[in-house]
Amino acid sequence: MELFLYIDKRSFIHRLDPRTKIVGAIGFFALALVFNHPLYVFILLCIPIILSSISFTLGNIYRMRVLLTLLFFFSSVLWPIFLRLSREAILYGIAMGLRLDMMTITGILFLSTTRQEELSFGLHKLGIPYRIGFALSMATRLVPVFLGTGSTVIEAQKSRGLDLDTGNIFVRIKKHIPLIIPIFVSAIKNTDKLAMALESKGFGSDSPRTYYIESRLDVRDYAFLFFIVLLLTFCIYLRLKGYGIVLARL
Amino acid sequence: MKAIAIKGVVFTYKTGTKALNGIDLYVNEGEFVALMGKNGAGKTSLSFTLNGIIPKFLKGNFTGSVHIFGVDTKIQKIANLSKVVGLVFQDFESQLFSTSVELEVAFSLENFGIQREEIRKRVDESLALVGLGEYKNRNPATLSGGEKQRLAIASVLAASPSIIVMDEPTTDLDPLGKEHIFAIIKRLQKEKRTIIIVEHETEEVQSADKLIIMGYGKVAFNGKPEDVLKDIELLEQNGIRPIGITCVFKSTLNYEEAKQLVKKGRINPRAYEELVNKDRKALGEPLVEIKNLCHCYEEGTFALSDINLTIHNGEFIAIVGQNGSGKTTLVKHLNGLLYPTKGEVYIKGIDSRKWKRKELAKVVGYVFQNPDHQIFANTVEEEVAFGPKNFGVEADEINIRVKTALKSVGLVGYEEKDPFSLTKGERQRVAVASLLAARPEIIILDEPTTGLDYLETRRMMELIKKLNNMGYTIIIITHAMWVVCEYAHRTIVINDGKIILDGTTREVFSKEEILLSAHIRPPQLVRLSNILGKTLLTADEWNFSFT
Repeated sequence: MELFLYIDKRSFIHRLDPRTKIVGAIGFFALALVFNHPLYVFILLCIPIILSSISFTLGNIYRMRVLLTLLFFFSSVLWPIFLRLSREAILYGIAMGLRLDMMTITGILFLSTTRQEELSFGLHKLGIPYRIGFALSMATRLVPVFLGTGSTVIEAQKSRGLDLDTGNIFVRIKKHIPLIIPIFVSAIKNTDKLAMALESKGFGSDSPRTYYIESRLDVRDYAFLFFIVLLLTFCIYLRLKGYGIVLARL
Repeated sequence: MKAIAIKGVVFTYKTGTKALNGIDLYVNEGEFVALMGKNGAGKTSLSFTLNGIIPKFLKGNFTGSVHIFGVDTKIQKIANLSKVVGLVFQDFESQLFSTSVELEVAFSLENFGIQREEIRKRVDESLALVGLGEYKNRNPATLSGGEKQRLAIASVLAASPSIIVMDEPTTDLDPLGKEHIFAIIKRLQKEKRTIIIVEHETEEVQSADKLIIMGYGKVAFNGKPEDVLKDIELLEQNGIRPIGITCVFKSTLNYEEAKQLVKKGRINPRAYEELVNKDRKALGEPLVEIKNLCHCYEEGTFALSDINLTIHNGEFIAIVGQNGSGKTTLVKHLNGLLYPTKGEVYIKGIDSRKWKRKELAKVVGYVFQNPDHQIFANTVEEEVAFGPKNFGVEADEINIRVKTALKSVGLVGYEEKDPFSLTKGERQRVAVASLLAARPEIIILDEPTTGLDYLETRRMMELIKKLNNMGYTIIIITHAMWVVCEYAHRTIVINDGKIILDGTTREVFSKEEILLSAHIRPPQLVRLSNILGKTLLTADEWNFSFT
């Protein structure tokens, strides 16, 4: 099962400097928070989707469709319940669902077009200590590995007659113990091995680190950043003018 | 100055295990040293002392000293030492973490602060050395097992350490994958690098300058390989498999010399006929029938295509093929973990899709490769009882079954032990016991001997043989060809998702060329007999029929 998101293509987005992509993703997160009217959020949501399509990574968004649908569905159902049922509350709930989806899609777009090495390179260039940046980028790598172990463990226990589909909720929770323990034990063992391998490859040596990846900020990057700043300023201006709001809250 | 000087090293892990118990050892620059011995003898621990992982990362009680080119490992950071001592770990999967082959190799060079142009040069050089020059832009996850191992080696070589340590670099690899690794070692030898290799494969360590056998944290033998490899008793005592050739031709170890000896003798036709007749096992009723099975994980890419196979009650089958050829995918169809994309799989005459998964799991037991993927309970007893409990067996009956199962695998007295505290070989046996307690009719074992030493492997295989004699139908997936030769009645060779050979093990191993196309090379003894136009599978068969 292929669980890694990165797709190796040569597109405008792929070629952007990692710093631009990190700042850009933060910009999109901010954009998602500006409005709470579904229509406005939806229009903004289209931007990362369009970027996905021009970077040939739409497939990843499709793969995550279940997650995206669930986020949207729960948000649009739960918010109106918390906020007292009204037309505004329903619209607000839908907007919140779209917000979550926009953030998730931005994340998928980022990971689909950025190698983990580029992420740690970018974070380092943005002034974050290398060790922290490396740990962050490694997490994006280890999550899929973790999921992979999970599916093997599930298969192994199913082969021993474990049946996860019957029983009440408590019985079912208890049934997950034979899954959780091996997954964690393997994860801990693997992390230990990884840490040893990293040190044995000079991680944390006294020499200052160099980078094999080559990347410079050029015109494309500045143009892209300029576009995001412009868009964000414009949207905040609209919001302050009273557009795109169904309820007076974030 | 010695490349490596180890003096009086004693090391006890925090857990209380004494791994090294007084090691004194010197290695000269440019030497090729093979390190052998039972699991738990201290081989890995010893290799960990060479770049300071012991005692700096794995802490414990450490006395004595290790000097690398005169420098004490205690006063150096692991990261700095690794410039001089390159360590390739046992498990190649967990040491690859980059998104491309190129970046994987560049990682250590970046850490050592080497400039980009120089990195590029060294990446190219080390990839060329291991034969992965064409793979620069591939994602390591998409490589085969052998390629991954070669990549792991390249990523360590790039920093051009003068000492290279490899911990069991060939376990888990198909025969040709193994040969690739040894070819790389030969090249490194020519470059005058100091090489330390931990290895279970006896045939391959003959070219070493020095062979060190470890036992209970001590050096049990240290000398020239030819002085010890003929001493079959000493080898077996230390959990090392004697070379097949020496078991037959006492005077030689060498394949080429043995070839000359073989040509002088002959295989007695009557004795050979007797062996061939023994291959014809009375077959029971068919348990599994596979018809035109195809499986694709994604649109268009076939993991299996057009598989036709009948498995009879009581058979002992080995499935072999290179990493990624589809062996595991095939057996997963037998217990309902996978269903055919096209074609049918019948288990006891019923289509696998019509079986309830739980019912099918009762008939077809499957032991996964890594016992750690299924062990979860606090005690061995509870672990073994898990299967039967799931199948709704009554408590009294479960007790009986657990007892019988533990007896079969030789773990009586382990009932109350914590399975996590056992050795890999023991955990593997717990996994087999937990399957036996469910009383399946067919037992599938995915690489049951990976990571086990020779004695543990023997023990595991004798257990499986015993189960087969008791009437269980056995299917194993393995890369260890000598295991296939000694134990399997029937061998199925899979290549690129297709069955390319299927017959008695003798028939299959007589077809060396077809085997080679599937990255499989029979053991030396089998190849020698093929020169004479007959196929002998084991040393016993040789001694029985060769005159």
